[in-house]
Amino acid sequence: MAMVCLGLVIFFTLLAIYGEGVYRYHEIKDITPAYQMTDLDKMYQPPGSIHWMGTDGLGRDVMARLVQGVRIAYKVGIITSLIAIPIGVILGCLAGFFGGKVDDFIVWLYSTFASMPGLLFILAIAMVVPGKGLLGVYLGIGLTTWVGLCRLVRGEVMKHKEQTYVQAAKALGLGSGRIMFKHILPNISHVIIVTFSLRFPAAVGTEVIMSFLGIGVQGEPSWGLMIDSARMRLWQGMWWEMTFVTIALFLLVLAFNLLGDALRDALDPRLND
Amino acid sequence: MNGLLKVEKLNVVYGHGEDAVHAVKDVSLEIAPGEIFGLVGESGCGKSSLGKAIIRLKIPASGKVVFKENDVSKFNRSELKTYRQEVQLVFQDPYGSLTPRMKVGNAIIDVLEVHRIGKNTAERRERVAELFEDVGLEPEWAWRYPHEFSGGQRQRICIARALALKPDLLVADEPVSALDVSVQADILELLEELRATRGLAFLFVSHDLAVVRNICARVAVMFNGEIVETGPVADVIDNPQHDYTRQLLDAVPSF
Repeated sequence: MAMVCLGLVIFFTLLAIYGEGVYRYHEIKDITPAYQMTDLDKMYQPPGSIHWMGTDGLGRDVMARLVQGVRIAYKVGIITSLIAIPIGVILGCLAGFFGGKVDDFIVWLYSTFASMPGLLFILAIAMVVPGKGLLGVYLGIGLTTWVGLCRLVRGEVMKHKEQTYVQAAKALGLGSGRIMFKHILPNISHVIIVTFSLRFPAAVGTEVIMSFLGIGVQGEPSWGLMIDSARMRLWQGMWWEMTFVTIALFLLVLAFNLLGDALRDALDPRLND
Repeated sequence: MNGLLKVEKLNVVYGHGEDAVHAVKDVSLEIAPGEIFGLVGESGCGKSSLGKAIIRLKIPASGKVVFKENDVSKFNRSELKTYRQEVQLVFQDPYGSLTPRMKVGNAIIDVLEVHRIGKNTAERRERVAELFEDVGLEPEWAWRYPHEFSGGQRQRICIARALALKPDLLVADEPVSALDVSVQADILELLEELRATRGLAFLFVSHDLAVVRNICARVAVMFNGEIVETGPVADVIDNPQHDYTRQLLDAVPSF
């Protein structure tokens, strides 16, 4: 099962890289890519031999847009992780290791963040960020989703701090930074890897919701926008756009979640010792 | 006697107010260079707390630890770093005292780096190989992870790591209690050899009188945080003055 998920994740990753390649190619050549080209003669064609997943309301190929959607989903997943994970890990380490006032402050900080309803907070940040589009999505998701990881890392560091090897490191004269990041962090890295694989699909899901609500991506084929536009004609029997996008989203989220579980089983030192 | 380490009226307290636990009460002792000084007592009598206070992992409530005529509690950052080289520690639990995700050789190189011993990594690797030989391990084993070693081997690695800093005093907190009896003898032999060849002094914390009798020159008996009896090992064990020492001796099974 884990291998199937790994295969799926690799497949999606390759799609994302391919999508980025296509996007860059058109940007450099300065031409409108086919997935953005409106062709009203071809609108709402059901899946067939030319358009495997049919076309949308503006006659654009759903499959090509779906691939571009993978690219955006990956960008959101990776960039928000690059924002959220360092914040969560560094603050969690500091709080757990030093305790006292440092801990009080960081706990206060993340409790404040956690007390605000997630999506509202994300939307508020995205609204404040100048210019619409992906930057708001990155910052909105990145700046709000470090809390869970911070809490986990803090707890793990507190637990490890009392262990003999940390006491030994202190007695050997090693500095706090070195003990925290070189000695404790590798022992709790499974927490970070698992968190990454679980928050990645969550971030993708949030992006879809934001785009669906019109605060996320503009003018690019994000899955959220595709679902939003597809829902209009769903009742008229134009099922393909909605179906394929939802299946793609479902598979990506499922694959990452199962892979996350498998990684935890494989990486947690307590489980395989 | 010009002692290497002097402990004067040391008190260690955990917690505050009514919940405070007085782990070490007015303890004084003195260790000479190149001496193996035994500290015996049952679990929870404050032996480990005393050891921690000596290496400044625990700040004492009152009293002084004096090392080479210097008050340990007054050390600043750089003096403390020097002190960390001079006084080292070996823990009871050889499984827990090595960083699990780091090759043991790298853990030692880490220590050498922090204390700026050796000019470059190649030199430090050489030093690691020497240390491994000194404690009776194959040098190429240094590039393995801790879980690939047995308990006795790990304790040897811990000793090698402590020796990396060329200390004058090694606080050995129950270094053999977690090991099999046959392995215990090997480690004790190693400690005795280090004393003889390097003039290393030991504070040997143990609850095992037989072991202490074997290896120590002088011994202090600790009970409820206080030292109740101290003297040459032969006097204390063969002619105990304090009731508690007698009880402790009676508790040793004889076959």
